[in-house]
Amino acid sequence: MKQAARNGIASVLIAAAALTAGCATASRPDAMVATPATIVRHNDASVSVEVAGGKGTSAMGESQISNDAFAQALRDSIQKSGLFSAVADSGANYKLTAFIGKMDQPMFGFAMTVKMEVSYTLVDTRSGKTVWQKDVASQYTAHPSDAFVGTTRLRLANEGAARANIQQALADLSTVSL
Amino acid sequence: MRRLIRIALLFPLLLAACATETTSRAPDVHLERLKTFYVARLPADDRGIQKLICARLQQLGYRSTWGDARTPPSPVDAVVTYQDRWMWDITMYMIRLDVQVRDGRTGAILAYGEVMRPSLQRKSPQGMVEETLGEIFK
Repeated sequence: MKQAARNGIASVLIAAAALTAGCATASRPDAMVATPATIVRHNDASVSVEVAGGKGTSAMGESQISNDAFAQALRDSIQKSGLFSAVADSGANYKLTAFIGKMDQPMFGFAMTVKMEVSYTLVDTRSGKTVWQKDVASQYTAHPSDAFVGTTRLRLANEGAARANIQQALADLSTVSL
Repeated sequence: MRRLIRIALLFPLLLAACATETTSRAPDVHLERLKTFYVARLPADDRGIQKLICARLQQLGYRSTWGDARTPPSPVDAVVTYQDRWMWDITMYMIRLDVQVRDGRTGAILAYGEVMRPSLQRKSPQGMVEETLGEIFK
């Protein structure tokens, strides 16, 4: 009986350790780059990118998406899609702002679904006029078959939600006549 | 056996985290210009958190109403949405509250605030609402 209880407690501890072990790692920009969607319109203009609302990742916390990582993924996605002629750091014809307003992440679980909402605004830098605005919601589920360690699974779910979000945003933006 | 029980009792301490507060505003957003609010009840919320948020906004000097619909019945400056997470540790407590302030016309998120408090630093739902809105509007 004693041995059975001992084995039971040991099993619970091992299972808990397996589910929670591993330090959180930040979401990677290259994993958030969207697959080029069918672009309706290609623009000759250049664009700059600014991101706010992202968070840093601490080793003991949850995996997060930082402003820099999302901005890099957004820049790479625009370049890959050919939606604008160039992505510049400054002096561009348009400024694309993305505000990561909502990151709904599970605290634990086997299948981890991250829901994300980003508000995008495109401003004509010469006139200061907002030419496009869109609130894009996306989600992605990472399963234990994708990664056994929970912190890695959460990072994969973050990256998937961000990838889907950028893809939707660029697909919508490509229909706008600038 | 005792050693195993001690390890098992220590395990929750390893999982215990510190309270965290996070807030952010979209670039060029001026929350001080917002005067009227509508709090949209989260469909899954049966604890009345929307009423607490609405009451706190009124205490802060804003005109605020709440309802079940996602969109307000009449035009407002901002719509407030939220997600509350609960955990059990002896009793149920709110471990996390996320609040988003959205543009009343477009629905775009203007600002958000998040407060997470683990069991040992738990607050009442009113306290969580006060802290989260305090972070957003400070």
